[in-house]
Amino acid sequence: MMAIKISQAHPLGASPDTRHTRRRSTVTEALQRDDTWSLALNRIAQDRCRKSFAAFFQHFSPLLKGFLMKGSRLNAAQAEELVQEVMIKVWGRAEQFDSTKSSATTWLYTIARNSRIDWLRRQSNAQTEELVADDLYEDESAETPFTQLQHARNEQTVVDALASLPDEQALVLKKVYMESKSHSEVSTELGLPLGTVKSRVRLALKKLQDVVGREACA
Amino acid sequence: MIKHHPDDNLLIEFSAGTLAFGQSIAVSSHLHFCHHCQQRVERLNHVGASLLTDVESVPVSDDLLDSVMAQLDAPTPKRKPAAPSNQKMPRVIDKILSKQGKAKWEFLTPSLDMARLHTGQQQFEVALHRIKAGGSVAQHDHRGTEITLVLDGSFSDENGIYNEGDFLVRDAGQVHRPLASRDAPCICLSVVAAPVRMTGPFMRLLNPFLSFKPL
Repeated sequence: MMAIKISQAHPLGASPDTRHTRRRSTVTEALQRDDTWSLALNRIAQDRCRKSFAAFFQHFSPLLKGFLMKGSRLNAAQAEELVQEVMIKVWGRAEQFDSTKSSATTWLYTIARNSRIDWLRRQSNAQTEELVADDLYEDESAETPFTQLQHARNEQTVVDALASLPDEQALVLKKVYMESKSHSEVSTELGLPLGTVKSRVRLALKKLQDVVGREACA
Repeated sequence: MIKHHPDDNLLIEFSAGTLAFGQSIAVSSHLHFCHHCQQRVERLNHVGASLLTDVESVPVSDDLLDSVMAQLDAPTPKRKPAAPSNQKMPRVIDKILSKQGKAKWEFLTPSLDMARLHTGQQQFEVALHRIKAGGSVAQHDHRGTEITLVLDGSFSDENGIYNEGDFLVRDAGQVHRPLASRDAPCICLSVVAAPVRMTGPFMRLLNPFLSFKPL
């Protein structure tokens, strides 16, 4: 009953006026994440807590740097420049983080992805003053309580499932997400037909999502 | 009811941030209409996040934290999405239009107008097409892959009827002949791989879709 109420109030998950306001119903509280990093983000938002920010930084910066350097699109210095940019956005936008809608890592991932898109565009002399990646990705926070619950628990499950993928599937998936390569770039690099790359990526994701789905229903 | 969606591969590239910027505008606009695909992207983002936590970490310089801490108090420009002038339109389209002023419609044929969108990239032509109510567009094909997203109204072609939010991909060389529904004009977002520049006065007459360059 309660769950239905939420989704009716927010058919698209985010109307402009309530998007960044934390609702205080029991249902939302039950759905709020209470993992370390969600709590840290909440403290950064509410108390401007530098200690929480430092802890968040210490944990995620080396991961971000590794993520950004994968596939050597960026060298160490460039990756750190981007890590700084991302972390400053984390501080500036912490109040927009809503633990009922996404996990801290997914939130961070989208900030890092968008920053990387704009960074790569600046390198290729695109006119980024016209439009930035954030303009393209702002409508996407639509979740039903079901998917929220799903997201809350399964980050580690996905990591475990990744380890169980056949090597050739895991490889293409990582190239797409971590090395920021389009399917056609991966196909050129690995000397595989484009269709093969696409189907490996699809199969890999299907497998991951099956695992995620099973977990959520269990 | 939206019947035509981006395929998995397009959404994966969108979520990974590797889809060409011009095409991402079309996917983003589709998400504005399509709750179902919003959820698909959320799940894909989640996969990206899992990969982020699974990556081999690389230590950062010792002074990076201090450097970041020192910049925290500098005022940061707040990202406040401007109140949409037209809630029906995807926010990204509103943003583009508000930056460049109103859509500047150019006459292509008696039943078809076009307004180019400035998107700061050269790889794809991004434009709005407006087909007059009941109007039809001359049979045409395209040099490159074309994505069409119906923003308002509906149109049909040999293969079916397309309504608001429908997302269509046509490969180079696929010929079609769109026809707007009789009661209202149809506005579509169109994203086409930028063609080799064609010159000569007849090219435009033969094929209006080949005649413009991205801005």
